[in-house]
Amino acid sequence: MAYYAEKNFFEDQQLIELVTNILSGNLTLEWYTAEGGRVRARPSDPRRGLTYEDCNLGPYGYDAIPEFVRNRYSMAARGSVLVSKLPDLGYTINRRSDVWSDNVVALYEEAKARRWAPAVDVPWAELTAGDSVREAAMAQLCTFLEEVALVAMEMPSKWVFSINQEFLELKSFLCAQMIDEARHVEAWRKRALTSGHGLGRASASAEQALKELLSAETYPEASLGTNLLLGSFVLAMCRAIAALAETRADRLLATLAMQDVARSVAYGVGHMRYHLAHQPGKAVALAEYLDRTEHVVLGIAGSPEFLEPVVILAAGSVDRDRLAAGSRFARRWYASALEEYFERAAAVGLPRRERSRLPRLDV
Amino acid sequence: MSYLSTTDFTEDQPFVDRFERMLRGDLDLSWLDAPRERVTCRPENARRGLTFRDLDVGSYGFTDMPELIRENRSFAPRGAAMPEGLPDLQAEVNRKSEVWAYNVEGYYEEAMTRQWNATTDIPWAELQSVELPEDIGKAYAQLLTFLTEVEMIATDVPAKWMGRLNADFFEVKNFIATQAMDEARHAEIFRKRALSTGWGLMRASAQNEFNLKFLRDADSFAEASLALHLQAEGMVLTLFRFSEYISPTEGDKKLFRLVMQDEARHVGYGMQHLKWVLDHFPERREAIHHHLDEAENFVFGGGYATEVLEPFIILSGKGLKKENIAEGVRITNAFQLKQADEYFERLAKCGLPERRERSRLWKMIDLRKQTMAA
Amino acid sequence: MPAVSAPPPLRFPSRDFFEALREAMRAERERFSRLGFFDTTFGVRISSDDGGEPAEFALRFEVFDCVGVESLAGVETDFVVEGPFAAWREMLDTIHALGAADTAHSLNTLTHFGEQLRVRYDDPDGHDKLYRFAESIQEFFDLSARLDFAYPDGSRPPAARAERQRSAR
Repeated sequence: MAYYAEKNFFEDQQLIELVTNILSGNLTLEWYTAEGGRVRARPSDPRRGLTYEDCNLGPYGYDAIPEFVRNRYSMAARGSVLVSKLPDLGYTINRRSDVWSDNVVALYEEAKARRWAPAVDVPWAELTAGDSVREAAMAQLCTFLEEVALVAMEMPSKWVFSINQEFLELKSFLCAQMIDEARHVEAWRKRALTSGHGLGRASASAEQALKELLSAETYPEASLGTNLLLGSFVLAMCRAIAALAETRADRLLATLAMQDVARSVAYGVGHMRYHLAHQPGKAVALAEYLDRTEHVVLGIAGSPEFLEPVVILAAGSVDRDRLAAGSRFARRWYASALEEYFERAAAVGLPRRERSRLPRLDV
Repeated sequence: MSYLSTTDFTEDQPFVDRFERMLRGDLDLSWLDAPRERVTCRPENARRGLTFRDLDVGSYGFTDMPELIRENRSFAPRGAAMPEGLPDLQAEVNRKSEVWAYNVEGYYEEAMTRQWNATTDIPWAELQSVELPEDIGKAYAQLLTFLTEVEMIATDVPAKWMGRLNADFFEVKNFIATQAMDEARHAEIFRKRALSTGWGLMRASAQNEFNLKFLRDADSFAEASLALHLQAEGMVLTLFRFSEYISPTEGDKKLFRLVMQDEARHVGYGMQHLKWVLDHFPERREAIHHHLDEAENFVFGGGYATEVLEPFIILSGKGLKKENIAEGVRITNAFQLKQADEYFERLAKCGLPERRERSRLWKMIDLRKQTMAA
Repeated sequence: MPAVSAPPPLRFPSRDFFEALREAMRAERERFSRLGFFDTTFGVRISSDDGGEPAEFALRFEVFDCVGVESLAGVETDFVVEGPFAAWREMLDTIHALGAADTAHSLNTLTHFGEQLRVRYDDPDGHDKLYRFAESIQEFFDLSARLDFAYPDGSRPPAARAERQRSAR
């Protein structure tokens, strides 16, 4: 272990006397006069309950978080009365605009309200396993999506430990992202293993790409890469699966997953907007990050472990004529996913249409 | 510089050519031939839906997972075919018995289906109509301040470890994700309740923050889990049970019942993990005792946190008058003894019955019991 | 005693049709609560087959409810779903026959490449709400299975399949 208490409390006579005294009824009441500010949070809309927005009050509110959190390194609740000797818990992300987004509070509330449980919310009994190539394609696609979700779950977990506790609502949203992605790991795996085909093949190109995304050096880069760039394509993947579904179970699974991914994308867009509004100079570095890293979505969306099953699902078979139709679907899918990514990037102030090296397709 | 993929895909001409071939319908389909175990998993119990336990089949399952994960160093889903070129994610924890727990898959499924919402599941409007007297209001606000301060340690610590675990342990990772969300919700509900009492947040707790730092800085996942899930959360679970008992309103009782359910799951994981460690990695036993020696030192040092102990006395006795304090002390004594008893009972149940003999905390508690009896 | 005549069917497209969906949603509070907060304002635009003015409505959702059905003109929306009357009719016919859209007629499928229905938006943030609330939006339209309505030419959507089976016996 790396951290020890400042003393052996079992031999601390002062402590024993203090506790004995209190348990004899002689309270110190030192804390009794501490007040961080008297407020009374109330639900502004009873249908919605008591939201974090309702608690955005005075010194307790997230509006009061300064751009630079210089003197808060413990887990003391924001707005509580600080005491001396609070330890430094080692946070390394202490600048608000490195993490914040104006929509993050609402997205956290939305994530909780729109939760679902794959075990019981997907009508698994409606799915029938079979030898069809379609089911084999679905198993492969779900294997791939499980792989992606494992990485997407780790991205927030990797950073939340380092982010200052003052950004409580933001950290809470990262927790919601973790559970969302755990749900996707679970749901895609379950879908693959109901197919009758077992899991398919992992993707070397996608994993190389995902590792590059996961090892982003800064949180803004990680968020841009995972939430906005990768998220745009994963969102489009969910849309495609829902559109190609032949059963209610598959449509529902993909739609519910899509909703979750769309929240991450919305945070990614909001975060970049906020970040660049407060640190406009970072636009150059982030554009260079995308120059360097944008290629990863080709490694992911262009991997045969993803693209070939999509072609087959759209085709319905491996007949040559049908495959031609399936490939047209895949071309249009890629083109529209890329277009939506460009739209989002432009909206946050990172125009990519001219600059991106990602391939364009005539559709 | 961060990790860079072994190829820049936009400049990898064979990759781009293949991408274009696929988009013309020219498929290679080699993934169809990847050797695999063909299974069809179905819900064993339709009402429970399709669970991870239903997926515990052959190479996909967790039962047959080896103690040491030697092959998979990537994000390849357990049981999937692994092609050449998968990256090494440099997982630091590749031994099953360092992370596994009996029934971890069950705890995960339970967590997923028992998520709740602090915003909508508490009768906030009803709570508004109750005006707490100053002594109760302040004591309650102070207790809530402490709780909101400490809850998210149980997010940060497991999250820190998630990325270090081999991806084959995804059931544990998934459980960690549910715990992270549970704790975010706990920090949220205690904060919201404090801010709705009319008193706002009160004083931070330095002594407890030292303990949080200790939890953050554990050297291994097993140590982190031991101190966090079993010891710290176990004691908080008893605290929640008593807090429900002494809650000033029905709405507050509901609040504590909901957080208690989550906390009990985390403690359950911690217990089943320790049991697994002791059953499968017995040479860890001495290291566990060493870690608990220091963890219990922090627990005992928690006596300095008058901002926790005193509000509890006031809430238990329902006021600040002399007779209230006397009653509060009686209940708080019972609570603290119960807290310690339950902690040592849990350890014994996990296979560490000798802890009582070795523990200085136990000796202090024993001494206190004797004093009280006298 | 004079016979009580059944109320005339609703017309699609009309404001009354969407108001009826709003009422149906209110009756399904539990179902929509389970799907979660649903905060968006979006438009629907149904182009006329004869080249006339399209029918346009703005649907406002808050928390778990539809809180407003109004004319689209002048309303700030997150996105607008638009398409020819025939595409809307095909979707509604399927919903009426099956009780809910089948996978080929879900809003996501119909808008996927903008072939049958198209999504218009100014801001990708607004557009993304189509995805964030996808299932709630789908289930809102699925409620039309319960409505008694007719199209401008007086024709009706097909009867529910179960009902047809009953009458065939």
